[in-house]
Amino acid sequence: MSEKALHRFVQPVGVPGRRLLHHIPLRFVRKKVTGGGSRSVNQEIPLIPFIDFLLCIVLFLLASFSASGELPIDKSIKLPNAENVIDMTDAPMCAITGTQILVDGSPAGSTRVIEEANRLQRVEELFNILKNKRELWKQLNPGKDFPGVIVLQVDRKVQALVVKSVFQTAAFAGYPNVSFMVGRLGKN
Amino acid sequence: MAGIDTGGGHGGKRSTNHEIPLIPFIDFLLCLVAFLLVTAVWSQMARINADARVPGPPQNDEPKDPPKEKQLHVEMKGAEKFQLVWKEGNTVVNTIDLDRKQVPVGDQGDFRFPDLAKKISDEWNANGAHRAATDAKLDQAVLHTDNSTPFADVIAVIDAIYTPHRDLTWGGKTEKVAAFNVTFAVN
Repeated sequence: MSEKALHRFVQPVGVPGRRLLHHIPLRFVRKKVTGGGSRSVNQEIPLIPFIDFLLCIVLFLLASFSASGELPIDKSIKLPNAENVIDMTDAPMCAITGTQILVDGSPAGSTRVIEEANRLQRVEELFNILKNKRELWKQLNPGKDFPGVIVLQVDRKVQALVVKSVFQTAAFAGYPNVSFMVGRLGKN
Repeated sequence: MAGIDTGGGHGGKRSTNHEIPLIPFIDFLLCLVAFLLVTAVWSQMARINADARVPGPPQNDEPKDPPKEKQLHVEMKGAEKFQLVWKEGNTVVNTIDLDRKQVPVGDQGDFRFPDLAKKISDEWNANGAHRAATDAKLDQAVLHTDNSTPFADVIAVIDAIYTPHRDLTWGGKTEKVAAFNVTFAVN
């Protein structure tokens, strides 16, 4: 069977493309009426550099991503600010609110007891928790020197007597290097 | 868009050219960027160091006659004054009284003691023992406070003590460090 005979059975689906005025047989007329070979108005968006840029941002954000979220600061604590500060370090956190002493979020004593006694004293609960933490660290890191660093988050209104008592307790428990957590104040 | 062209696909076979679906990929990346930006932590927290000076049990290897070094004792005398005392061991070398003028900073109730910071800087420039960049040891300052002093005042004074800075060469690199190491006197 010839190709011409089969033509009427072929589905009327053609190659997509321009149709309007393309059937004019004279080439120079067709060229004029269909746009005359001028620059196409279609533009290719440069997607590859855009994807490269996005990938760079994603990699940077993934590298700086912290699954544990922000540093755990007790909501009832209003920290003071300071100018001459250094970056935070990874160490046990001891929070002193108006009424409570917390170590990594767990209660470790009361500030009321110290205030009522009105004298410097060792906080036994805090001492035991810190001592246990130190011994656990030594078991996990045998042969290494214990850094003895603790970070205190202290509310700005807490009396120095409470801070001194916690400070002394921490030092007795093997944490003589104390850092106070503060907000970063811009230098004038 | 983007595609992989292997040049095949002739002879009635299925074409081996493929179009990579870039639009969903870009959508995914944009979602990822938005999520990571929202969950990013821009922390403004920092720390300020202090050693503890507490009485401890006597140690066997403790030197009998430790070298006496000058130390700057900063005493918060009531609500009116500071007293700066240079001591060598238990010997008082020099005493300076200073009015306690606090200057408010920011809108969160913070304040500074610029006069104290300036005086401590001047004192360190005049009497500091460890000023060479190659000297790894820092001068020692000891802070004494009343029991009733609010913690914000303690931090403002420690901040003032950390104001003077000096060069320190460590491992071939020189960087600026605080001139004093602060000890918080507990007794």
